[in-house]
Amino acid sequence: MSQDDFVLLTGRANPPLAEAIAKHLHVPVTNPISIFSDGEIRVRIQPNLRRRMIFIIQPTSMPVNDHLMELVFMVDAAKRASASEVTVVVPYFGYSRQDRKEMAHVPISSSVITSLLTEAGADRIVTIDIHSEQQEGFIKQPWDNLYGSYSLIPEIKKRKLSKLVVASPDRGGILKATAYAKFLGAKEIAVVYKKRDIMLNNVSNTLLMIGDVAGKDVLLVDDMIDTAGTIVNASNYLKREGARSIRVASTHGLFSGEALQRINDSAIEEVIITDTIAQPEEVLKNPKFTIASVAPLLAEAIKRIRSGESISKDLIL
Amino acid sequence: MKLFSGTSNKPLAEKIAQAMNLSVSPIEFFVFPDGEKRIQIQENVVEEHCVVVQSTSTPVTENYMELFFIIDGLKRSGASQVSVVMPYVGYQRQDHVFRDGEAVSLDVVIRMLESLDVERIIVLDLHSIKIPELFTIPVTQVSALPLFARVVQKQIGAGRENLSVPQFTRSDLKNNQGVQEANEKNFVSSTSSHETNAILVSPDMGGLRRISKMSELLGGMPWIATVKDRDLETGSIAITKIEGEHKDMDLKGKHIFMVDDMISSGKTMAVSAALLKSKGVKHITAFATHPIFSQVAPRLLQESDIDAVYVTDSVFVPKAKQFAKLHILSTAEMVAKALEDNG
Repeated sequence: MSQDDFVLLTGRANPPLAEAIAKHLHVPVTNPISIFSDGEIRVRIQPNLRRRMIFIIQPTSMPVNDHLMELVFMVDAAKRASASEVTVVVPYFGYSRQDRKEMAHVPISSSVITSLLTEAGADRIVTIDIHSEQQEGFIKQPWDNLYGSYSLIPEIKKRKLSKLVVASPDRGGILKATAYAKFLGAKEIAVVYKKRDIMLNNVSNTLLMIGDVAGKDVLLVDDMIDTAGTIVNASNYLKREGARSIRVASTHGLFSGEALQRINDSAIEEVIITDTIAQPEEVLKNPKFTIASVAPLLAEAIKRIRSGESISKDLIL
Repeated sequence: MKLFSGTSNKPLAEKIAQAMNLSVSPIEFFVFPDGEKRIQIQENVVEEHCVVVQSTSTPVTENYMELFFIIDGLKRSGASQVSVVMPYVGYQRQDHVFRDGEAVSLDVVIRMLESLDVERIIVLDLHSIKIPELFTIPVTQVSALPLFARVVQKQIGAGRENLSVPQFTRSDLKNNQGVQEANEKNFVSSTSSHETNAILVSPDMGGLRRISKMSELLGGMPWIATVKDRDLETGSIAITKIEGEHKDMDLKGKHIFMVDDMISSGKTMAVSAALLKSKGVKHITAFATHPIFSQVAPRLLQESDIDAVYVTDSVFVPKAKQFAKLHILSTAEMVAKALEDNG
């Protein structure tokens, strides 16, 4: 691969991940973002982009609106600088949970985000564990969705958990739990789910489960940890059901609000996440957290997009 | 017609609604713990022409995203048309590639508004006359200059008789697709300001079109411009020179009316005022459409040689940024007229 026929760019969302990908690909990475005094974002890309493939690495993590607009303006600048193709690598895709009208009179915010990217000129989107894959249909351009399991599974295997049960913290995650159980050779899965009781104006959620976790090493899997309410409640419930140990594996660590405190105070022994979102010192230095990097996965995907090889072969775990 | 407002300038939306005998229709705004916004329209909008008022001032990305979501929500709820009133247009100073490798951020947000199928956009005093060309949808540009001209006439006309206050008509305010030429037409050159002590000043050379238009509105009042040099390294501003037809005029004892489109740091105006003061001017009144005040602007302006600062309500100025010399003129009636004219 010639090293100067593609260019890596990053915004301010996750420079360490961009650096790690660049290292795998033996190329430099450039951050063209600066901010005007009134808060407006300024992009100026210095390297020559003419007739080159551009890969912009920018998860739209918190502050989501700023990171998104940085990305959008980088796409515009790259296009105007005669880039041949612009791929936006958005490891964590903000607003992906607002992917439908779950009530009347609301926007489909995720579709607004994809329009912004394609209106600015993005030719391809690369994501990891997008919240719902139907979103790929919002646009006509190719959308390669990868899976954090590529990075998480080898890390989990190192634990050599003998009595492993893979669990989902809600009904929606059964397929994911089944897939992880298969990759990890676990014989059993469990599902924790909410039962909504409505009694005399009192709404309370009781947790129930399917499966047996007594004396087992439980691995809870989920696509993201946001405020950590769901995962912590499920963990504490599984502990009461007799689980021997509880670990959580998740691709995206958002850790909003009181999430870190909740996890620290919970029955969770270890949280294994990826670096799709840049983590603060508070997480990096916390012994409860292990980070499996998605840099090798994204570097390989970029290599294959460049050379025209299949993405699905061996990359989709 | 139903009128909605984002969170950036609710007071202006309320005034526009009042001028149109409407009320602002409710929207529920919610921010998730991870910073994602969620909006919900609270009224039936099926087959309605909806207008959204939102200035995309600081915090600019938040205000733009909120606007995009409101438009998408209205469209998906069955609105027949969505028009946008954007008194201040964020990113308007990034309207072309200044240096290689830059984005044209303004063009990106315009393309987005158009892809959301916005019917029409009403804006106030754009920074450059080229900007409407970036749109393929109709743009109505409303000018605050007539508001400012009335203040000037009041100030110089005090004690004079037969002063006619300029009137602007509906057609003056309309400007489809482009350059505003009509505004000044209906003004009668009533103030023979050559006899007065009044002089118009553009604080930098970029505002010549604006200042000559203002001069026409005021019956050919003489104008000059101060020349601004910005050090690109330090960002510091120096103003040492005066240009224009009347540059050699004796400024001693004159009443200066300074006009610009926006005030951000306030430095340009303050530095220009200091130069004029050193030439012996007596009184300085400053006008700017958009008060996009930075943190330092209120204090800088209050302590400057400027005696009074007039701005409009295109951008909401919180109490903490108001100061004794500041006067805020409302554009609500002009915007309401523009909306009514365009149905």
